[in-house]
Amino acid sequence: MRKYWQIFKINWDSVLVYRFNVLLWRVRMMLSFLTIYFFWGAVFSEYSQIADYSSASLLAYLVVAFFLQTLVFANDSFRITAEIATGDLNNYLLKPMGYLSQWLARDWSLKVLNLMCFMVEITALTLIFKLPVFFLTDWCRWLVFLAASVLAALLYFFFSFLVSSFSFWYPEHNGWPLRFLMLMFLDFLSGTAFPLDIFPQSLAALFKILPTTYFIFFPAQIYLGRLNPGEIVQGFLIMAVWLTVFIFLAKKAWQKGLQIYGAYGR
Amino acid sequence: MDVKRLKIYWYYWVRMSAMTFQSLIATRLASVLFLSGKIIRISLFFIFLLALKDKIQLLAGYNLDQLIVFFLIYNVFDLLGQIFFRGIYWYRNEIITGNFDFTLLKPLNPLFQILVSHTDWLDIPALILTVIFLIIKLPAVSGVELLAFIIMGIIAMILITAVHIFVAAIGVLTTEVDHAIWIYRDLSQMARFPVDIYIESVRFFLNFIVPVGLIFTVPAKALFGVLSWQWAMGTIAFTLGFYLIIIKFWHYALKKYSSASS
Repeated sequence: MRKYWQIFKINWDSVLVYRFNVLLWRVRMMLSFLTIYFFWGAVFSEYSQIADYSSASLLAYLVVAFFLQTLVFANDSFRITAEIATGDLNNYLLKPMGYLSQWLARDWSLKVLNLMCFMVEITALTLIFKLPVFFLTDWCRWLVFLAASVLAALLYFFFSFLVSSFSFWYPEHNGWPLRFLMLMFLDFLSGTAFPLDIFPQSLAALFKILPTTYFIFFPAQIYLGRLNPGEIVQGFLIMAVWLTVFIFLAKKAWQKGLQIYGAYGR
Repeated sequence: MDVKRLKIYWYYWVRMSAMTFQSLIATRLASVLFLSGKIIRISLFFIFLLALKDKIQLLAGYNLDQLIVFFLIYNVFDLLGQIFFRGIYWYRNEIITGNFDFTLLKPLNPLFQILVSHTDWLDIPALILTVIFLIIKLPAVSGVELLAFIIMGIIAMILITAVHIFVAAIGVLTTEVDHAIWIYRDLSQMARFPVDIYIESVRFFLNFIVPVGLIFTVPAKALFGVLSWQWAMGTIAFTLGFYLIIIKFWHYALKKYSSASS
């Protein structure tokens, strides 16, 4: 465990070497959030209710989604794609540590750093734009929300690794094409820009069984208290099933991938 | 610029575009995945708009069909910018490796080489689909409105060029290109809807600081016949001033080029 803690710290330091890069990344994240926020702000300046959402509840959803986006999607492990494609994976295969575990440690160091930036940003944005920040007072719901958020981050990690492992079979463009396709779906299906239950019931029912729903939408709904205990349990069960499936497939992809790995570029 | 020079630039663009096309054919699966991603991005946003149909009747005075036309016109200019100026995404590597020296040594305008070096063929199918859909969705348009749209469209392309030149200049000064171009792309997403829907301060920012409102909203308003001549003239004057300032900034940046790593 100690070596992964060291990796966590090393990654933290190496990210902070490029501080300007971190700053611009966070500026982009804030702009993305404000883009969505201003759009919905404009809608609610003319309408008091959209689907089941009042102005306050939808804008609060966006703030929680911004937090979850920072926690769940902040990752360095997208570089796995290029490491496989360029043969840099060799460097890790020789080291006495788990490849996925060290990436998990690196991802979490980036997540913690991003969350710290988020706290500063959300404070500033709240002061400037009077964001409807909604603090939970119910500790039980806090715990359930945190559990769902951490599970969502894990779910995304294994999902993302599966996409990266495509590089074993198709290393062109550093394995980026499938990731690009994934990101296009993720933008829409995770619920970052809007809650997924504003769609018609048939679509909302389909979203319920997709893993992407559990990255942002499901934890955000828990935070906002929009789910009853039965729905929360059902959501956790679906998450657990997807996590098991992704871990299993990631293991398989890793084993099969290593068998055909050609270390191209080395 | 004489005809002979223009021919050289034309030949350069055709050669670079042909080479980009060859590389796309060499990696067919990658091209299919990229192409699918681009079309899916537009389609999914379209689904989002349709989902709003029974919830939003009017937004800033525009009905949903009009908002869809705004979104399609946004895509036309966004895709045109990407088709012609995709080279900016490859440019950072040239700066940080010092390879930009070779660009400067060639007897061609370095800006031209940077911006048009990678024609993005994969955006063309999405552009064709968008234009077809736009023609289907458009209400009756008069000749004057069409002419106004074409003029404001040319102005929009000049502004898009200026923004890309600005990013290139920032790249020379700071070696930072990727985030800068993405900040523009992120902000331009606010113009998927007419910028009139936003509050005054945001609208000012989107029109006159990062002029995505002038790039995407103004041509659409010209097509709808709701663009006043004052706004049209103001946009043209702003564009000329903006472009000249950005060119000056580019020349300033070139003087500061450090040729790092070369």
